[in-house]
Amino acid sequence: MSGAEEEAPHGKVPRLRAPRTAAAALVSTAVLVAAGALLYDVVAVRAGQPARRWRAQLADELATRRLDDVWVLTGAGVAVVLGGCLLWLALAPGLRRWLPLRPYGETTAAIDKGGIAHLLADRAAGLTGIEELRIRVGRRRVRVRLVGAADPASVQRQLREELARVGVARPLRLDVRAARGAGGAVGGDGRSEVAG
Amino acid sequence: MRRAVVNRVLLGAVGVLLLGVGALVLAGGLNLYRHLGVQPPSRWPLVSPDRPLLSERSRMRWVARDWWWPAVIGGLSVLVAGMAWWLVAQLRRTGLSSIAVPTPGAGGLRLRVTARALEDALERGTAVLPEVERAGVRLVRAPRHPRLRGAVRLTPGGDPVGLVEHFEDGPRADARASLGLAELPAELRIRVLQAAPVEHRHRRHRRRRRHPRVI
Repeated sequence: MSGAEEEAPHGKVPRLRAPRTAAAALVSTAVLVAAGALLYDVVAVRAGQPARRWRAQLADELATRRLDDVWVLTGAGVAVVLGGCLLWLALAPGLRRWLPLRPYGETTAAIDKGGIAHLLADRAAGLTGIEELRIRVGRRRVRVRLVGAADPASVQRQLREELARVGVARPLRLDVRAARGAGGAVGGDGRSEVAG
Repeated sequence: MRRAVVNRVLLGAVGVLLLGVGALVLAGGLNLYRHLGVQPPSRWPLVSPDRPLLSERSRMRWVARDWWWPAVIGGLSVLVAGMAWWLVAQLRRTGLSSIAVPTPGAGGLRLRVTARALEDALERGTAVLPEVERAGVRLVRAPRHPRLRGAVRLTPGGDPVGLVEHFEDGPRADARASLGLAELPAELRIRVLQAAPVEHRHRRHRRRRRHPRVI
């Protein structure tokens, strides 16, 4: 890889965003059914047929139920929750388990967060003095909790090397914390930035 | 990509509409304006809790006008047509069955290669790269040019950066060159297996999917 590419600003690689196909299909179907039924009935009434019972009933309910009616309030609550969910679907990126890697040529790639955890766990498995290791991979940082006699700083050094090898577009911070274990004292918190 | 943008914009619009109407009704029904001491602007809808949601009078307000029914029918027709288009756009397959190959110097000849052949070649080429346990590649449609989508599973301790470089310089470059395409971008989804502690192993095994799925 050329030096220029390595130096490129990492912020340029966008997050993966879900296409929201299923939600779009669901919402479009619902609106299609409702609007289609209404259109059919409106046209039928204009053509001289009597309105369907559901429409007359709906108009009647809307005209008689007051705003503080339980059903109106329930419906409004449902609408608020549903609207919030749809807005969330529209704005949230989705595909959170994938972290983009630095692109190379015309190939872009993303790695599973679990995959990063596997790599770190395998690297740590070769070290001595670790009884238990808990790895949580986030989008910005990796948190490692370790129980055992091993020195957190040296574990961190090893894991940092491994993390740099992964090549994530946005650098991941690595926090290694030693929990109280058979080793005794609580080790110092290691923190570091990995240009990974 | 374009479909994703349309989906998000429309989902957001429907969401804002539902949220807005629901919030207005809740505010009016629970009499929040009174409780909070807020004076809504004049002509603000749905203010008092003892009024109906849609009174006979407001429903019939424009019924007598000439433009009302054509406008309602036209608006609903546009809505139905738009929603049908939106739905069809979701049902369209992302996969392609073939890809057009340029034939410079041979006017009148149009050549297409089946996607399956290309995908097979790329899958075989990717599977033999170092540290690859399993690979799946699909040719999918994209706004300007078809692109490749790959799902690759690496063996424990595998090197993701190395895989991306090998894939770019190997199978992808070969496919692009042999088809004579100007561009053939690719996106990879990479998973890495774990060699890992023995006591966790059987649990991980069960969760593991047999075939990598190309999304």
